[in-house]
Amino acid sequence: MAVTSSTRHAVAAAFGRRHDAGRRLAEDAEGIARACRDMAARFRRGGKLIVFGNGGAGTDASHIAVEFMHPVVVGTRALPALALSNDAATLTGVAAGAGFEEVFAHQVRHWAEPDDMALGVSPDGECANVLRGLAQARELGLFTMALAGGDGGALARGPAADHVLVARCGDPAVVKEIHVTAYHVLWELVHVFFARTAPAAPAEPGLAGRGVAG
Amino acid sequence: MTGDSSLGGLDRLYPFLAAGAAVDAAAGGHDAAVLADAAWSAGTKAAEIAELRDQVAARYAEPLAACAEAVAGRLADGGRLFTFGNGGSSTDAQDLATAFLHPRYGRPLPALALTTDVAVVTALSNDVGFEVVFARQLAALGRPGDVAVGLSTSGGSANLAAAFEEAGRGGMLTVGLAGHQGGRLAELAAAGLLDHLFVVPSSSVHRIQEAQTTIYHVLWEAVQHVLAVRAGPPGRRLAQGP
Repeated sequence: MAVTSSTRHAVAAAFGRRHDAGRRLAEDAEGIARACRDMAARFRRGGKLIVFGNGGAGTDASHIAVEFMHPVVVGTRALPALALSNDAATLTGVAAGAGFEEVFAHQVRHWAEPDDMALGVSPDGECANVLRGLAQARELGLFTMALAGGDGGALARGPAADHVLVARCGDPAVVKEIHVTAYHVLWELVHVFFARTAPAAPAEPGLAGRGVAG
Repeated sequence: MTGDSSLGGLDRLYPFLAAGAAVDAAAGGHDAAVLADAAWSAGTKAAEIAELRDQVAARYAEPLAACAEAVAGRLADGGRLFTFGNGGSSTDAQDLATAFLHPRYGRPLPALALTTDVAVVTALSNDVGFEVVFARQLAALGRPGDVAVGLSTSGGSANLAAAFEEAGRGGMLTVGLAGHQGGRLAELAAAGLLDHLFVVPSSSVHRIQEAQTTIYHVLWEAVQHVLAVRAGPPGRRLAQGP
């Protein structure tokens, strides 16, 4: 069946809107690098990463957690991470009782330890439960980060997190695409810094080279 | 697992960092230089994905438009959307399903990610095998006229291949997203067993996933466009019918 010109234009316009957006990540590269250095230090001390978001951003939270828990680069160490949007029982339980604003804060309160890190994902920066989750995390002394979009919303206006990355684009789908690259880079750089902070250990001849698989 | 002092496979991604790692670690690290290197790397990745997206747009704009029209046709006729993938791709499958079911604009449509029911996934995996987790669900839930979308970075996932075979047998429209050379999914497409296949020409799992996110976002947008065009202007919808 021949494609109509109307559909063809819709697809071309959609790709066109993405043309330059992806490159904007580079603008915050140094901030990302600093956040990764701080995360690596916390992982080194035994901290874990707690991630949360709503809707599509909830799937980003799951993606980030699996990225750390089951690295795609062979030989890379698994680092502890947990996505709070995966537990439908707790999510709906807390929402039905205390309210939806509390769904992440409640889990942070009961899961978090001081060396942990919290990462909230909110495409418009206005998600009340993400803000509450981050506020709870800050109160408990966690290192806090946020991935936002648009103008950053409330996440960028207030002291919501130690590091806020804003994908400055009004289209939430494009924001998500920038976030995916951002958290892939985040994961890679955490591992780079993690390796650099290695305590000096005696060589283990039996294991030499195993970590450098392709 | 080795070595904390090893960069593992990452030394391929960050050769300059690997080269200096041992020296810097011993010396306590040169913070500013490392941060600058890391920042440069992040910029490089951003440029890579932008270029890859342009390649995908050049290669797949027309096939994506055709796919959107086919998917929209099925959904307009009462078909439902089923999505599936493993690991990071399962999160994309869920993102795609919720984009259709709870759209930020346009028409909400029935869509289900086959990884969301942990009871079903673990029951099938434990009792039968992980290869059937998606195929069995499609056999039970699917109808002719439905749409099956599977995402895989390698294209080699056995449970995706089984799902597409089941979906094809059941008269469903099949759409695959893959990377590398397309793997097993490319074989299925060549054999006429996969209606639409989009292969992201990259060998980086991360860049493939990022480009696939763009592909399914564009697909969703184009499907909404086609459905809106079919429905006509708001005032005429009742007169024209679906």
